[in-house]
Amino acid sequence: MATPKGGYFGKVLEINLSKQSTKVRELTDEVARKYLGGSGLGAYYLATEYGAGKDPLAEDAFILIAPGPLNGTYCVSTRTSFINKSPYTGLLSHAEVGAHLGNEIKWAGWDGIYITGRSVKPVWLYIQDEEVQFLDAAKVWGKDTYETEEDFKKEVDNPYARTAVIGPAAENGVPYSAVIVERFRAAARTGTGMVMGNKKLKGIAVSGTKAVPVVDNAKFLPAAMEVKDYALQREAWAGIKRWGTGGLLELKHWATGSLITKNFQTTWWPEIYNLGGEEANRNFWQRHVACNHCPVHCMKYGVVRDGKYKGLIAEGPEYETGGLLGSNLGMTDFGSMMALIEAADAYGFDAISLGGSLAFATECIEKGVLAASDLDGINLKWGDGDTYLEMIKKIAYQEGKAGKLLGKGVDAMAKEIGKGSEAWAVTTKGKEIAAHDPRGDKGRGYSYAMGTCGGDHHEGSSPGGLVLLSLFNSLVMCSFVGLTHTKEIPDSHVAMLNPLCGWDMTGDELMAVPKRTLTLERCFQVREGISAKDDVLAKRFTSEKLPEGPKQGAIWTDEDQKKMHESVYGLLGWDSKGVPTEKTLEGYGLDFMIDDIKEARKQYKL
Amino acid sequence: MEDKAKVPTATQSGTTRRAFLKGAVAATGGAVALASVASTSPKAAKAQDAGPKSRYLFAERQNCTGCRACEYACSTYHEGTVRPAASRVHVLRHKGIVDVPVICWHCDDAPCIEACPVTPKAIKKDKETNGIILDEKTCLGSRCLQCVDACPAQYLRTHPDTCKPLFCDLCGGDPQCVKACLAQSGNPQGPCLLGSMTGFGVNQAFRDVTPEEAGEDLIKRFYYPNTEGGRR
Repeated sequence: MATPKGGYFGKVLEINLSKQSTKVRELTDEVARKYLGGSGLGAYYLATEYGAGKDPLAEDAFILIAPGPLNGTYCVSTRTSFINKSPYTGLLSHAEVGAHLGNEIKWAGWDGIYITGRSVKPVWLYIQDEEVQFLDAAKVWGKDTYETEEDFKKEVDNPYARTAVIGPAAENGVPYSAVIVERFRAAARTGTGMVMGNKKLKGIAVSGTKAVPVVDNAKFLPAAMEVKDYALQREAWAGIKRWGTGGLLELKHWATGSLITKNFQTTWWPEIYNLGGEEANRNFWQRHVACNHCPVHCMKYGVVRDGKYKGLIAEGPEYETGGLLGSNLGMTDFGSMMALIEAADAYGFDAISLGGSLAFATECIEKGVLAASDLDGINLKWGDGDTYLEMIKKIAYQEGKAGKLLGKGVDAMAKEIGKGSEAWAVTTKGKEIAAHDPRGDKGRGYSYAMGTCGGDHHEGSSPGGLVLLSLFNSLVMCSFVGLTHTKEIPDSHVAMLNPLCGWDMTGDELMAVPKRTLTLERCFQVREGISAKDDVLAKRFTSEKLPEGPKQGAIWTDEDQKKMHESVYGLLGWDSKGVPTEKTLEGYGLDFMIDDIKEARKQYKL
Repeated sequence: MEDKAKVPTATQSGTTRRAFLKGAVAATGGAVALASVASTSPKAAKAQDAGPKSRYLFAERQNCTGCRACEYACSTYHEGTVRPAASRVHVLRHKGIVDVPVICWHCDDAPCIEACPVTPKAIKKDKETNGIILDEKTCLGSRCLQCVDACPAQYLRTHPDTCKPLFCDLCGGDPQCVKACLAQSGNPQGPCLLGSMTGFGVNQAFRDVTPEEAGEDLIKRFYYPNTEGGRR
């Protein structure tokens, strides 16, 4: 059990909120080399420390905030990973977020922050290198994410500190609440916000002064510079640089035919002309913003210049936020849509699940199975931004019947409402899906159905894509940059990692890491009762043809489904029921899961 | 604000901001003019060939995307590895919506050198490049730090290991942060950091603002009619 030579500090900071104590968890070179970091390390901790059926909100449940080996080094575009068992879906979940937090954690001398326990009073953490302070958060409890972040920085008198905070939604136990990093970035889709709220942890601020140890700088720097040069010269992302992901709104509508509209009823919404990147460019965007060392600067910040929401500062629209809180709600007014997006960030929501829940409720009202009287008199209508905004506040503060009902998410709502509403409850593995209609963009079906957490849009659009994106989530690198250079300089990761960490890794060994991680994550999910029957898309996609748009008539067929299962299970060495075989587990060095899988096979008759 | 009161050269913040905005407009024009001169005039080309050329740094603040490539380049050059805490250039994200590059302006009046109490001065300017050089042997470090207090731009920080102030030496005349910023700026705004022979740095209206004040000015410039930068 050697300590890592470079790339890692060999230390994960373990914080116990119950005892207000800290300790250092060793990270060995063997574990680092097997799982890299980020979601891989999180999967390792979750699978080895939790048994089946663990309560995700138990006092000793943990959140791992993990950067990867490349964070804090010269490598471009690294991110931060949040891993926990989701209280929303009951499954292992990982969220990757941009901004600068992950690098700051590395510069503070940690390979990750492992938070467990539960505080009695609201608390927040200030981590300065080795020093951890538990500070009283009573004053900021109940405040939105923007105010909280500003208050934190003022209190510690460090404007350069990097923060991750929760908003009222998470404090009030909304299961799809998010952790908001640096005002506009959200670590969402995992219920991490709810877990933090449950632990009475309002947020963390990190500030570091160290440098990540590099074994052979003379070799590492040129390799990292090559990747950077490549990312700089690369034209593939010119559109993202110029238009952000908001520019995809028009593209997915006019060309791909996968822009979700009115709770996935269609993909045709010509109003997108007034909602997408073009309109944002005309009347909203003010500046381009980048995550750390990133040449792509896909974030666009702007201000609403006129109308009811004059003076509203927000980030976006991104493809996901503009889809879920724009076209999916039948919006036509740009300012109102931005107000919803800004509210999602300020109250600390997962914008995808929030948009999904609002759209589902609206369709329920449209189809007459839910009445305004069931929602405290709030009559949700497509395109009615003010009413949606009122509803978002109610959900965040869990007010009245409406706030409580919509705060449960689509699956629970469909169960409660009944009356056939299950037919338009668009979820996978208990979670709302993102803004790409899988009928128009079949690749996304892989991401939604085969991705570890379910319903996520960024898990890879093909069997190989699943593997690659899992690799990026373990390196904790942005796939916008990662995907292009991996394709054309395939050795780039090994060329960076070997001199950085003092390894002699081959390309094959590296590519085994994501396969191992996906399989280990799958083992965790299988233990929770997941199998091939859950790797499916919502009924709407298999029973309703797209009524209009470029992909008119498209539908997710049984053949698509079969092809997807066979190709992914085959590539990863899982059987036809979606369970990793014993041979596969042995091959990836996951012997410690064999007994659990045997148990699960018996329990769930797999 | 209390810190600012200590700085002798700083004016009232209201006038500073107005002056700053005026300075920004003038400087933008200047930068464009300079760029065109540099690419056409044979004299400028000759100066480039003559090796060390940089005499001042300039930050076109509104072009910063907050990617921190300058911090990466600076600490890689000076420390051999990426370590923003020991970087000679910083990027402040103010109120989560604007990024303020915090740089040394290589002032002609150099309040930091003036404030240095040791004899001979531990802080010097390189005659050729105008870079600020620290004599680590005579610098009193954390026992003194009068230069840090004297900097009108509140730019100076100390090295996390040695506790001595970190000065911008312009990398011997070829500032790495400028190169990194130029390379990184594939955006329609163009680069933020520039190096030049002429003295943008003596534009005191541009210099005599704290990073936070510069951030507030940027918020006004970008987010009108929301001039506070907060939630509506």
